[in-house]
Amino acid sequence: MALAGSIMIFYGSLMEGFMKVLERNMIQMSLGDIQIHSPGYQNDPDLYKRIEGVSSILAELEQKGFYATPRLFAFGLAASGPASAGVNIRGIDINREAKVTTAYKHVLKGQWLSIKDPKGVVIGRKLARRLGIDLDSEIVIVSQATDGSMANDLYSVKGILKSVGSEIDSVGLFMEIGEFQELMVIESGAHEIAVSNPNNKIPLASATKVVAELVPSYETKNWRELKPLIAQILDTSDAANIIMMTIVYSAVAMVILNATLMSIFERIPEFGVMKALGFSPMQIATMIYTEASLQAMLACSLAIGIGIPPSYYFQNNGLDLSNIGSDSTISVAGVAFDPLWFPILTTSTILTPIIALFIITALAVIYPGIKAALIRPVEAIHHQ
Amino acid sequence: MKKFLPLLFILPMLYAVATAQKLETPKERAARILSKIDDMWRGKSSRGLMAMKVKTQNYTRELELRIWSQGKEKSLVIIESPLREKNTATLKSGPNIYSYLPKTDRTIRLTSGMMVGNWMGSHFTNDDLVKESRMSDDYNAIITFEGNQKGNEVIEFTLFPKPNAAVVWGKIIITVKSDGFIPIHSKYYDEDMALSRTMAFSNIKSIGGRMIPATLRVIPKEKTNEFTELTYKEMEFDIDLPSGFFSIARLRRR
Repeated sequence: MALAGSIMIFYGSLMEGFMKVLERNMIQMSLGDIQIHSPGYQNDPDLYKRIEGVSSILAELEQKGFYATPRLFAFGLAASGPASAGVNIRGIDINREAKVTTAYKHVLKGQWLSIKDPKGVVIGRKLARRLGIDLDSEIVIVSQATDGSMANDLYSVKGILKSVGSEIDSVGLFMEIGEFQELMVIESGAHEIAVSNPNNKIPLASATKVVAELVPSYETKNWRELKPLIAQILDTSDAANIIMMTIVYSAVAMVILNATLMSIFERIPEFGVMKALGFSPMQIATMIYTEASLQAMLACSLAIGIGIPPSYYFQNNGLDLSNIGSDSTISVAGVAFDPLWFPILTTSTILTPIIALFIITALAVIYPGIKAALIRPVEAIHHQ
Repeated sequence: MKKFLPLLFILPMLYAVATAQKLETPKERAARILSKIDDMWRGKSSRGLMAMKVKTQNYTRELELRIWSQGKEKSLVIIESPLREKNTATLKSGPNIYSYLPKTDRTIRLTSGMMVGNWMGSHFTNDDLVKESRMSDDYNAIITFEGNQKGNEVIEFTLFPKPNAAVVWGKIIITVKSDGFIPIHSKYYDEDMALSRTMAFSNIKSIGGRMIPATLRVIPKEKTNEFTELTYKEMEFDIDLPSGFFSIARLRRR
């Protein structure tokens, strides 16, 4: 019982950590809470499908209490020496982006973009590896500009990102939005406006509706609509935990049932004597339950003592899974995870397995309790 | 005896004419004509000046290009104008295409993924440049029409690719003038036999000593209000070009 309880505390903490990272990586690092696009852009990311009137849209969103940032995207080729790779060039507004996402905090090497250095770019770690480049390496970026000419320029790698998402890791290249506009010959517009809702009291669905009403001619979707698979994983994570707990504790229940029955069988003559002396069936059953409760309390104390310390340790130091994923990154539904997995201890991750242990003990002892309660004194006294 | 004297001269002459002009099958005739069309803009080598106008729903581009070629495998195109793109160059050497970008002074080799991308913003793809085929070598041709069409005496050929030909078209229909075999228009069909693009030829004039259509206009099937038009301004054929002319180093030298 103690072992099962401790395992469930550690498992619950691991899953809590996993879900938090999943949500954080996806929303805070790149997606934002809500996104606005030109109609049809998501199915066909065309350079020419842009949102116009960006300044006024941003002003209206900020008036409503949202943070918003414009983004521009293009596909191109990055080359350094003999190596080249396809890239997804992302032009971002450095100041606004910092209020919507936390990508700027996730630089593995070097530093984030700076307005003072427009030729400095930040790239994904896998892309850096494919090109065989490091900080301060020079890369040439080639693409087709909006006027049909060949867009090309030289840039310097100022930063390399940690794992953010599988796409950004492999092909992501960030540059300042003004530099992007000059490279791609774009005078105005944005391919995407990412919005974050700093007011947690407003539900996501309501916030999405407010934003959509501000831009009726464009498509507005929140992260749950943009990443339905991840939304489903997060929604069903509690159910998944309960299923896992049910499976583990079912085995524990069998063990409790078996052990309690054995202890009752060994004490049948004593129960017979107790019954003969006037103990009622309810009193016998209560005794069995009291014994089981004391055992459960001891098991829970041990479970807390065994389960919490490793959870706490790994919460601070991380569980190293770098040998599991290829290229030492793990990806779930396109969201990248660092190979260090940090469990998160919460009141729920501790109490849920403990309370469940008491419940499963109570259920497992029903049959032995009834069996002991219904013993006939004469037969019991003569039981061998 | 004297009556038969003329026959002594006539019969040998008839025999000479009959053996000299070997009878040609329709297939052989089609292949011969197509070979002439293939060679219309080709020579052992060439050098020229060309204007390209591209109109799409998003932009209009006009370029002046200087071009050199040697056989099928090598060609060099350098942009003369507009000033913003002057000296941007494309070198084709066998199956590879290299682009020289003067702004960054870099030469890049186009990856296989970029081959389907358009060339210089036109309706030609980079793949079109590499896979330059000869109709007479890569296609079986039949004459599907011969007669008067819109006031011109024309011959229409329908071409199907030969089994091992490395071509992208499922079918080509090309219409030429009976006199001189100068192309009028051609239609290109994909492997599902859906019309993919049309090419119209016009502005026939003497260029480099040859009567050729100086203007070619490509119209993509799905975007009929878009086109790419090439106009040959100057051409010289079978010129001497120095060895090493079509090299990466040459791209950067001016």
